[in-house]
Amino acid sequence: MRLEPAPPGDAPRAPVNAVVAPEARRRRERDQWQGRRRLERQLHDGAALRASALVLQLGLFRHRVPDGEDELRDAIGLLQDELHAVLQELRDVAGQIYPPLLDEAGLGPALRELAERLDASVRIREEEPTGGRFGAAAEGAVYFAVADALGAGVVPREVCVAGGRDELVVTITGGARELGELMLDRVRPLGGTVRCDISAAPDETVGTGTIVARIPCE
Amino acid sequence: MRVALAEDGALFREGLLMLLQAAGHEVVAVAAGGDELLALLATTPADVAVLDIRMPPEPDGGLVTAERIREKWPEMGLLFLSHYAESHYLMRILDIGTDAIGYRLKEKVGSVEVLSDTLGRIADGEIVIEPVLAKRLVERPRGAKKDEVATLSERELDVLKLMAEGRSNGGIAGQLFVTPKAVEKHIASIFAKLNLHTDASESHRRVLAVLTYLRSQKDD
Repeated sequence: MRLEPAPPGDAPRAPVNAVVAPEARRRRERDQWQGRRRLERQLHDGAALRASALVLQLGLFRHRVPDGEDELRDAIGLLQDELHAVLQELRDVAGQIYPPLLDEAGLGPALRELAERLDASVRIREEEPTGGRFGAAAEGAVYFAVADALGAGVVPREVCVAGGRDELVVTITGGARELGELMLDRVRPLGGTVRCDISAAPDETVGTGTIVARIPCE
Repeated sequence: MRVALAEDGALFREGLLMLLQAAGHEVVAVAAGGDELLALLATTPADVAVLDIRMPPEPDGGLVTAERIREKWPEMGLLFLSHYAESHYLMRILDIGTDAIGYRLKEKVGSVEVLSDTLGRIADGEIVIEPVLAKRLVERPRGAKKDEVATLSERELDVLKLMAEGRSNGGIAGQLFVTPKAVEKHIASIFAKLNLHTDASESHRRVLAVLTYLRSQKDD
């Protein structure tokens, strides 16, 4: 937070508290996650939908190309392929901003899809009742902590998602210290805590410990 | 073919409407959401309903609407279109039904030929799955059936992948440049290796093979 200096000659102001109240900081952090989710929706409803509609319009033109104009028809087909590549890149970007499946279906399905795409043999479990939702911030923080870990080759045995009283509780078994640290980096700004019970050496990517993250939900 | 269409993005909806008409289909209902489409279908029958997954009623109105359509008009084919090809949605779609149902990326039905082929196969009762998703699921076997799937030969995996795309034996034979007889042999071997012994018909066993396989990925 940048504080503007008081203009000279101004009446003395109330002192500005240099330490931001924790609750205000958490709120800002939560707002950031919601902002990311909004951006993803904007990409989906805006650019992506326009590009998809363009593919259809090109398909219509391709259909209207007179017989004997095969070159033109092929050229339009290539343009459609190119738009597909554009959309693929938009999907990649959207997934890094805020995964649409996380927004739509929650942590369990999003983590499962992630593990499948990365071919990571981690079991994703949701405690009953499944399908609980914990807000864009808590879900985003946990998702990206796990994604960072899987991306770095740190693959726990199981990630269990459960809901407590106004909080999200994620229990990771077979986790390495690095995953605990990644998790702490993500959830601390939200007022979350991480308890690590790790017996493996710090540099091991396959851990034997249990990591429990608790994140308050808005 | 009589097609009903529900999609909340106006640009895409108009584009699809024009492409459907250019392909010679009769578009009997056009709506911006699931509830609106259901109201239209009550008076206008259709052969296939094309549904955007992410539309009103939020968040995934396409799925809710499809369930209602299946309940009221079990014969009507269902084609889901989405900006994303995710196995999560494929599983939910297969929970709605395993006959006359399809799931494709929005930008991949952008030609008259592909659109008509997709709709035609669905109207014939087949399952049509976006090839990139079918490929991903088949190439990364995980879960309970992993061991059984691992016993499949490379050629059998090719066949299974094409089955997952909803291809007929003839279609598979054409794609792999082998005789339909050879495809039949591969399929029998896949059924055996996946332990699919059932009294069901051949076509139903094909679906079971693909479903058993796909579901095995999800169970972990």
